[in-house]
Order: sequence, then structure tokens, then C-alpha cells
Amino acid sequence: MSALIHTLLPMLFTGLRLTILIAILGIVFAFVIGSISGYALQSKSRIARAIAFIYIWLIRGTPLVVQALYIYYVLPLIVPFLELSSTTAGIVVISINSGAFIAEIIRGALQGVDAGQKETGASLGMTNFQVLIHLVIPPAFRAVIPALFNQFIIALKDTSLLTVIVVNEMTQMAMSYSSLNFRYIEAYTALAVFYLVLISVLVVIQKFVERKLGVNSPAKPKIANLRVKLPIDN
Amino acid sequence: MNEVGGETAFLKVNNLCKSFDSLKVLDNVSTEIRIGEVTCVLGPSGAGKSTFLRCLNRLEMPESGEIICFGKNTLTHGYDIRSLREDVGMVFQQFNLFPLKTVLNNVMLAPVIVKKMKKPEARQLAMRELEKVGLAEKAHSLPGTLSGGQKQRVAIARSLAMKPKLMLFDEPTSALDPELVSDVLDVMKQLARDGMTMIVVTHEMGFAREVADRILFMADGKIIEDDAPDVFFDNPRTERARAFVEKML
Repeated sequence: MSALIHTLLPMLFTGLRLTILIAILGIVFAFVIGSISGYALQSKSRIARAIAFIYIWLIRGTPLVVQALYIYYVLPLIVPFLELSSTTAGIVVISINSGAFIAEIIRGALQGVDAGQKETGASLGMTNFQVLIHLVIPPAFRAVIPALFNQFIIALKDTSLLTVIVVNEMTQMAMSYSSLNFRYIEAYTALAVFYLVLISVLVVIQKFVERKLGVNSPAKPKIANLRVKLPIDN
Repeated sequence: MNEVGGETAFLKVNNLCKSFDSLKVLDNVSTEIRIGEVTCVLGPSGAGKSTFLRCLNRLEMPESGEIICFGKNTLTHGYDIRSLREDVGMVFQQFNLFPLKTVLNNVMLAPVIVKKMKKPEARQLAMRELEKVGLAEKAHSLPGTLSGGQKQRVAIARSLAMKPKLMLFDEPTSALDPELVSDVLDVMKQLARDGMTMIVVTHEMGFAREVADRILFMADGKIIEDDAPDVFFDNPRTERARAFVEKML
């Protein structure tokens, strides 16, 4: 019991910091990469579509573990200055891997916005960019929340696969601990509980965002009620 | 006859052609849209009425022909189509209200982001337009809570907030329950009385007869009659139009 409290938990908390760091940065970059490539996938530019397609094809077509090994071990051999620390490599892997899946989610949501909305914007004299910002992204964003959080959860759990490039995140720490003293039950049970708590936090955030945006009630987004009442003349 | 800068026509349409795959939807359509006139476009479904209307603000790009607006061909690459669209309002069959924005914000949006109007000013303008269509009390509702007729009146107010010089109506009452049609038609009648230049694709024969200055009858991608309403309804020139009128009345 004292080994648990004095050795395992401090180790897991050290790993937790790295897990959270990689997951948060990974998710943020993945969202940016995914939004850009998702937009590219449904854009009119053939070149943009081709680039996005090849990126997604490569990433979805290979396992995350292989991508991690490749970026950490192979890339520095090809391009000498790309020698990344294992943590940086981990963030890069999570970002580009999750980004590819998010791209498909974003593309679907953008294409799912009723063409009539875009036409109406155009008929009012809006530019394509104004239509995108004011008429396409708001409904697309709402539609994308459940799938997006699903991907965030996957990205968070995928950080455990970074043990293959020895990133000292939680799973690596639990493995180190148990390999020293063979206390598998407590090490991996505690590890599972840590992940469960982390994921639960994400789920709570998802519910909060969905409630704010009124994702579950199409007719009445709560956000509309957040509008500051302004005096209206006449 | 109304005139702007010596022109009596808002748009002159010459030899417009458009196909979808092998289907010829517009076949050499030529006409002109005169300032201050209400033109109703009638005809069987598939006649090309909506496509014709959508070409006028270039939501569809015709394959050939020209549309001249005050001396400039709107179909050329360099033509500033957005400034034309600011002057040409459009009302769609499916209303196309922005579902996440309140009624007020639906109406305010284009004046604010296209015309760069200050928000308080746009809000006043939007409220005035909503009052005209009788929906000022719905300003803070979301479109999902409105009836079809109310939605379409909001859509009209949204177009009018841009102070258009020409209004295009693409079957504005076709998606409405019958008892809601008259609310929308009343708003359109008032607009016509106020002197708005309007092109209305519709199946509402009563409205066309009462309000239109001119009927364009289309079939198979062509305008086959261009008449005053009483001529069209009482004495159609072609057999095709005669059959259509008999069936619709």
C-alpha cells in the first residue's frame, strides 16, 4: 500500500502532466489541421483537394504506432534537423493522426449545410468568405460537436500508444513501475482509473458545450438566449 | 413608364441558353424586365421558370446569351455580381431563413455585413421591415418557432432590408399550407402597390391575374407568351397556354 502511495501515484501524476500536455496540444493542432484539410476536401481547388486527400489517405492508411516510430526514428535519418524529442514527436503524431480523422468529420459537416443557406447569402450580396463565416460554420460547428469530442477522446487514449517511442506519459510510467516490482494489478488498475477520470472530464466538457450550443434541441439553441437585450426604438 | 437614367428596362435578356446535362432548360430566352413592372412567370413544372429567375442574379450561370443591366452584361467575368445582388432581392420557395439566428438577426445580417451598416441603425431598419410584414413581435424568436407563412414573410423582410430595386420570387407560396398563402400574397401585393419591380414565379393564378402587369408563359425552356394578364387568361394566343390556363383555373 505504501509503495502505491509513495511510488506509483507520484509516478502516474508525473506521467499525467505529460499525457495532458500532449493530449491538449495534440487536440488543438489536430483541430486546426483537420479544419483546414476538411475545408480543402470540399473546396473547389483541385490541388487543395488532392493534397488533403493524400494526407488523409496516408494517415488513415497506417497505424498510429507506425507513424510514431517513423517520425521519431526514421525522419531524423532522412532530414537531419528533424530530430525531435520524444514528447515533441508525440505531439506531432497525435496532431497529424487525429487531424486526418477530424478532416473527414469537418468535410461532412461543411457539406451537410443546406445549399439553400449559401445561395441565400450569395443572393444578399455576401462574399464567399462571409457566407462561410456567418452561414456555414455556425451550423456546421454544432453538427460536428459529438463526432469531434469522440475524436478528442480517441486522441487522448492514443497518447498511451506513444510508449513505443518512450514518451514518459502515464502508461509508460505504469509500465516502468510494474516492471520494477511486478505489481501489475495495482499499476494497471490505477492507470485505467486515471484514464477513466480524464475521459470523464472530456465528457463533462462535451455536455457543457452541447448545452451552450443547444445541440440537442434544434429549434432552440441556448446561445440565442445569451444575447444581450438591447433597447429597440420604435 | 418608369425610367432610371433614361432606361426603362432594369434587365435586358438576350438569347439565354442553359442545359443541365443533355436537358435544355433555357432555350434562347429573350425578354426585358421593365422598371416598376410586376412580371409573373407562369408555366408547367420543368418549363425553366426557376432557372430563368436564378440566372438573373447569377445563382445559375447560363451557357450563352447575355443579361444587360444598365448597359453592362452581368454574365461577363469581370462584372461585379455582388453589387448587382445587393440591388436584387430574392425570396426562395424553402424560405432559407438562417436557423440559428433570431428573426431580427436574420433581417439585420446582410445590411450589417454587406452594407457595413452600424448595428443600431440596422436594428431599426430591420424592425421597420418586420413591421411592414406584420412580424415585429416575432423579432426575438427563432425561425424554428414560426409557421411557414411567417417564415416567408421574414424572408421577404430580410430581402427588403437591403433596399433592393428588383425582387425575385421563386414560387414563394408553393411550400405553404393553403391557409397561410394569403398572408404572404398580401405582403407581396402591398410591395407591388409600393411600386417595386418584381418578377414572380408562381402557380397562384389569382395573384398573377390581379397583381401582374405582364405574364410570361414558359414551356420547354422558351417564353412562348408575353401578354397582359387579361389577354393571357381570357384569350391566350397559343394552344399550349390555353390548355395550361384551363387546367389551372
